[in-house]
Amino acid sequence: MRTWRRSAEPYLFIMPSLVLKLIFGVYPILWALRFMFYDYKGYGEPVFSGLANFERLMRDKLFWESVLNTFVYAGGKLLFTIPLALVLAVILNGKLRGRQLLRGVYFMPTVVSTAVMSVVFYIIFNSYNGLLNQVLKMTTVISEPLDWLGTDLAMFTAILVAAWGAIGNNMLLFLAGLQGIPKDVLESAEIDGANSWQRFRYITVPMLGPVLQIIMMLAIITALKGYESIMVLTGGGPAGKTEVMYLYMYKLLFPVSTGESIPQDIGYGSAVGFASAIIVGLITAAYFYYSKKTSRIY
Amino acid sequence: MRAGVAASKPNSKSAFSFGRAASKLGGRLTLWAFLIVMAVLVLFPIVMAILGSLKTNSELNAGTSLLPQDWQWSNYTYTWKEANFSLYAWNSIFLSVLSTIGILLVASMAAYAVDRREFHGKRMFIFLQSMMMFIALGVIVLKPQFNLMVKLGLHQSLWGVIILLVAGHQFIFFILFGFMKGIHRELDEAAMIDGAGFGYIYVRIVLPLLTPALGVSALFAFRGAWNEYILPLVFTMTQPKLMPLTVGLANLRYGYGGAVQSHLMLAGAVLSMLPILVMYVLANKMFMQMSAGALKG
Amino acid sequence: MKTKKLSAVLAVSTALTLILGACSGKGEQSQSPSSSAPAASPGETAKASDKPAEKTKIIYWTAGRHDADYVKSAIDKFNASNPDNIEVEMTIMAENFAQSLDLAFASNQAPDVFSATDVIDHSKKGYLEPLNNYLTPEIKTQFGDRAFIEGYNMVDGNIYSLPNSGSTLRLVYNAEAFEKAGIASPPKSLAEMVDAAKKITEVGKKDGLYGFALPYKNPASALGRSAVPIAELSGVPGQGYDFKTGKFDFAGYKPVIDAFKEMKDNGSTLPGSESLDIDPLRAQFAEGKIGMYLSYSSEPGVYKNQFPIKIKWDAALPPTIDGTYKGIVNQGVGASRWLALSSKSANKEAAWKFMSYMYSEEVLIGYQENGLGILSVPSVAQKANKPDIAGIENFLPGEYDGMWPAAPQGFSPEGKTWQEEFMKYILVGGDFDSIAQDLNTRYNAALDKEKAAGTIKAEPMPDFDPIKLQGAAQ
Repeated sequence: MRTWRRSAEPYLFIMPSLVLKLIFGVYPILWALRFMFYDYKGYGEPVFSGLANFERLMRDKLFWESVLNTFVYAGGKLLFTIPLALVLAVILNGKLRGRQLLRGVYFMPTVVSTAVMSVVFYIIFNSYNGLLNQVLKMTTVISEPLDWLGTDLAMFTAILVAAWGAIGNNMLLFLAGLQGIPKDVLESAEIDGANSWQRFRYITVPMLGPVLQIIMMLAIITALKGYESIMVLTGGGPAGKTEVMYLYMYKLLFPVSTGESIPQDIGYGSAVGFASAIIVGLITAAYFYYSKKTSRIY
Repeated sequence: MRAGVAASKPNSKSAFSFGRAASKLGGRLTLWAFLIVMAVLVLFPIVMAILGSLKTNSELNAGTSLLPQDWQWSNYTYTWKEANFSLYAWNSIFLSVLSTIGILLVASMAAYAVDRREFHGKRMFIFLQSMMMFIALGVIVLKPQFNLMVKLGLHQSLWGVIILLVAGHQFIFFILFGFMKGIHRELDEAAMIDGAGFGYIYVRIVLPLLTPALGVSALFAFRGAWNEYILPLVFTMTQPKLMPLTVGLANLRYGYGGAVQSHLMLAGAVLSMLPILVMYVLANKMFMQMSAGALKG
Repeated sequence: MKTKKLSAVLAVSTALTLILGACSGKGEQSQSPSSSAPAASPGETAKASDKPAEKTKIIYWTAGRHDADYVKSAIDKFNASNPDNIEVEMTIMAENFAQSLDLAFASNQAPDVFSATDVIDHSKKGYLEPLNNYLTPEIKTQFGDRAFIEGYNMVDGNIYSLPNSGSTLRLVYNAEAFEKAGIASPPKSLAEMVDAAKKITEVGKKDGLYGFALPYKNPASALGRSAVPIAELSGVPGQGYDFKTGKFDFAGYKPVIDAFKEMKDNGSTLPGSESLDIDPLRAQFAEGKIGMYLSYSSEPGVYKNQFPIKIKWDAALPPTIDGTYKGIVNQGVGASRWLALSSKSANKEAAWKFMSYMYSEEVLIGYQENGLGILSVPSVAQKANKPDIAGIENFLPGEYDGMWPAAPQGFSPEGKTWQEEFMKYILVGGDFDSIAQDLNTRYNAALDKEKAAGTIKAEPMPDFDPIKLQGAAQ
């Protein structure tokens, strides 16, 4: 009787999650994904087309360019976000006057929605008379205004904006993780003469282990999937320079307005969505494998 | 490592301690400089948003000035009245609080079971959660989801939205799962020797230790629900009194005139910020303050 | 023991949730905040009976925002005065209109009346109710026989919407900048336009004044208001579809797109145009920082009400490729349609009564006189006064405005659209001829596919000549 209840316990605990996921998660996704095998443009009857959409995917230059853009975007975003978030978390975890206030400050970006901030970022990054250019000119860092949203710099700007929004989130996650490291271990190390860098490197980072791994994984996935801020900032432009995977898929699936740059094609869009999910999955799996190998603690 | 630590010990006390104090001061200054620069970079766009909400539409769109020429407080009064703000804000709060509670419950229970027990189908379950993260087809899954809700009779109620939001807990699941892994099993085992059951350990031992993670998760879940647009849009299309802020404000954006009312949109956004800030302060107070005292010894 | 307690708690809370969920969601008094008559009607949600004793609720979704004020007042009058106890509720969906409409139909919450933004697409999706049987002889006389155009507001003989007003497209220019640069009159040809832009930039650059600008962030929107009318006035079909041969041929755009590219490359286009949206552009024009751009007849209203304009400005016909007029500026699809009736409406009769009220002379005349559009219904346009908005005079339709026939719509080629491809060429460069060739291949392939499936009929019209369309609007 005891063992029966024991073995039932985990199932009981995952039941709500499982039920909700299966009904409202898996079923709708399967319902939508089946369009991968059809030729369906949003009206009329879907016509079965087998692997035609996937064949098109293989030779679609736009898609593979978007994959490349996604890697650049995600890589850049993580490069900016993670180190800064981690450093800020460590600093704000220690004794510091006003750390509560500062934590609140760094969290602010995530409080405002992306659609709203895009208006503001346009004003800031506008190459004609944008505030950033004005400031840089006044401090004589540059002489000619930089075209932040132009073909050369748009991706860089998109990465900056993404990092701006993500640092606060990740900082909080790291902070939560740091809370779990017992203070006395760090204190005794300090007494032993270890400086802050050594404490960080040899105690904090290893002890963050599984938490760090999860935060990284979520950050990677979020970065690869990100498209909303790009959509409002540049619309994927100019000339497709910031078109990332999930944005491309979004445009295929949803009618934005007639005459929009990429016409609606639900069948093909589902195929793109499926392929994107596979790519994200592969990268995540690779990350797991790599992090397991490089450190036994991770 | 030992040798390296030993090498940094002072050989001449007074000279080194002065140097050390100076470098400590220098270190402090750099630290603060860094923090302040970061704070400015982070806050600048938000301050611009607030300033923008007090400009006229043409001034905002021309984008040259920092401060508004005339402070258009009327933007706020107009937005509050026209957007029926108090009603929508209440709907948003209702929606966000309930989905947050639901997500935390469901995700933490599942994470606990997955981390602490082996059982058949555990791999599949984790795989399921991760697949839900990779696939983001967006609104297209809304149609079957909505049909399901129609069958349940919840398609015109905020409860339909709440259930769907709670069903989308995969991210929080992984956050809690990750943090759960960091909680040592010894505590569990000690309690089990004392005769504690699965659920008891969950409530009395694991959850309290998980509070920082729960706090952050609550914040994320709340904010996610707060900013949700398309989902409540579909559910409240015919029920204007149930609309949350995101939906209600969107109507305001396209008011009367050929140009988008960006100044009103910013005013609405600033007003919407306030409840989340309150939520953040709450979460901070309740969860972040707890240090991991229980792990001593 | 504690586990039992926990499971009990879970069970109770689940039960509570379900019970509460079932109770809520019943219709409450609906009151749309953004508009709607102050008189609130008690009772259930949208579905109501048809008996005159009870109010019939009609939901109207509009995609237009610039006319919302006027439309609302017309609706208020209707609600107060109509004898059938119909109450209309208007919601502005603007940016999300297409998506919201799709979602609404998919979830059985569609409005009764809505803006006919895309008749072809909506008729394919089955959203539209044919109006043929609702049209009375008076209405037919009012609108005349040229009101119903296949491919615009009529599909296979089914009339889905009626004309109201359209917009005209013009070159909008900064008169003061022209004076400063010593340009006597607005450019008539592409060469003159490029030259004018260059001159203006030369004299104005130090003050931040540039010769030309377009909202390039959205290629379809930018080119649709500029390249298209220039091409059409020059006799080149605006959508790339050659009516004579029944095939797509984008080569005719070359001089137009090259001119835009030149203005970008030589620095006479406002910096940052590739990320410029129409509203910031208007704001800059109002500040006097732009020499010229092309846009619709909604501009005067914007400069009167929303972006108070600080310079002397005017409008003129778009330039043509070589300075001669071989075609007309398309008043466009928008001129042929306004309101449509949902096929899924539960109150079609009542909805039609509302629609016919909105299409009455009184309402249409007010439309033009308030500067919301230029009437495309000739019989009514004769009776309307010119609107009282500065700068509208040069937008009024003349000899060179009218309606092109409808190009095949409602299908999509693989890959980027022609607007995106041309945009890329303007910003990044490339070989125009091969780009046009590639577009032709892709568009014609998609067209042929639709023709084979029988969904589109695209017959060549060997006698077609755009010059013959001139003088029709008057």
